[in-house]
Amino acid sequence: MAAAVELIAAPWNLGQAPPAPGREPEAWRGPQALLSAGLEERLCPARTVELDRPPYDFDPQPATRIRNGVPLREHTLRLGEAVRSALAAARFPVVLGGDRSILLGSLLGARRAGRCGLVHLTAHEDVRVSGSSLAAADAMALSLATGHGELLLSHWPEVGTLVSSDEVLQNSDAARLERLGPDRVWLHLDLDVLAANDPAQLTGLIGTGRVVGLDIAVPHPDGVDAARAVDLLTSALSPLASQEAHA
Amino acid sequence: MKTLLADGPSAQYPAEMEQFGRLAGQWATKITYHPADGSPSRTISGEWEFGYALEGRAVLDVWRWPGREDLPATGRTPDQECGLCVRIWDPRLQLWRFTFHGTARGDLLHMYARRIGDEIVMERAAGGDLVRWTFGAITADTFHWRNERSSDGGRTWRLDQEVHARRRAAD
Repeated sequence: MAAAVELIAAPWNLGQAPPAPGREPEAWRGPQALLSAGLEERLCPARTVELDRPPYDFDPQPATRIRNGVPLREHTLRLGEAVRSALAAARFPVVLGGDRSILLGSLLGARRAGRCGLVHLTAHEDVRVSGSSLAAADAMALSLATGHGELLLSHWPEVGTLVSSDEVLQNSDAARLERLGPDRVWLHLDLDVLAANDPAQLTGLIGTGRVVGLDIAVPHPDGVDAARAVDLLTSALSPLASQEAHA
Repeated sequence: MKTLLADGPSAQYPAEMEQFGRLAGQWATKITYHPADGSPSRTISGEWEFGYALEGRAVLDVWRWPGREDLPATGRTPDQECGLCVRIWDPRLQLWRFTFHGTARGDLLHMYARRIGDEIVMERAAGGDLVRWTFGAITADTFHWRNERSSDGGRTWRLDQEVHARRRAAD
């Protein structure tokens, strides 16, 4: 089963605003929370890649109103390359966040390997940049992915816009994906959605055979039940396991 | 200051260097301003010179107005611009880092640039707006440049300024 899975840890919080002045957000702890709860042992991935934790900058950066916009671009490119490499090795990348901005690098890697839609499972409404204050990529990752907002994070080498709006399925299940969706999709989910939803939804989506990889955002790792999350993820990836075993 | 300028691009990133490097040389410009208050547009002459620099790792340009044909006999006045643009390809970000250093008003601007289709698009956030400087319709001897502003996050754009450039023989 697990030979097909590649875990990619993206321990970053660049897309989040400080919870208090001078206090760094905690999302970078997300991957370790899941790994410590046994995700690696349960999935037995072919490989686990741990990306660097980027430094968090509290101050605005030149020419962008997106918080940490410059390092976010750099590390999105790195994550994209990790995902592309996993797909090129015929593996199923599972990206562990990190805040929701991991969607960008995940999709970038998937798009570099071919046209790809998106199934977006989240309980949070995506927002676009407005006003003159610093904006958090965590809260507008989908807008950036669909080409809205600053080019710094909405236009990418080789692919341009990551995904067109009409190839995004919000909170969809397997039946809707098979009826409406593209043949090849990336799956993004928030950990809180995973914990709250029927695990059969995820299992069904993976079972369509259309999902090429997934990323799981852990914006608030202190508040999650990591053991339950590992149970759900392991269960959700089991259809992939059986398909791979018979391939 | 012989180490500043270079004869050609570095062997690193040749395709990227060519994006701006193909503009190397001297250009006569017609600069048109389109006031946001609806008042009539006005056009002035200018000069624009591009060249490689820093061992071919950068592309510089000098932006000046008015053009030589309209320059006062006493020379450029303090409020007439003679500014420097610096462009350096950043392989980690896969885009150009750009700065403009104006001498007339002390402007210092940062932007990021990348090729999109047949154009080179530079962008910066300015307060609540987005500003783009775009090089388009580039041929061996002409190009068009436009300065646009969006106040709605990039959904709509207003043309503030444009330049028609024509290559001229080197001095």
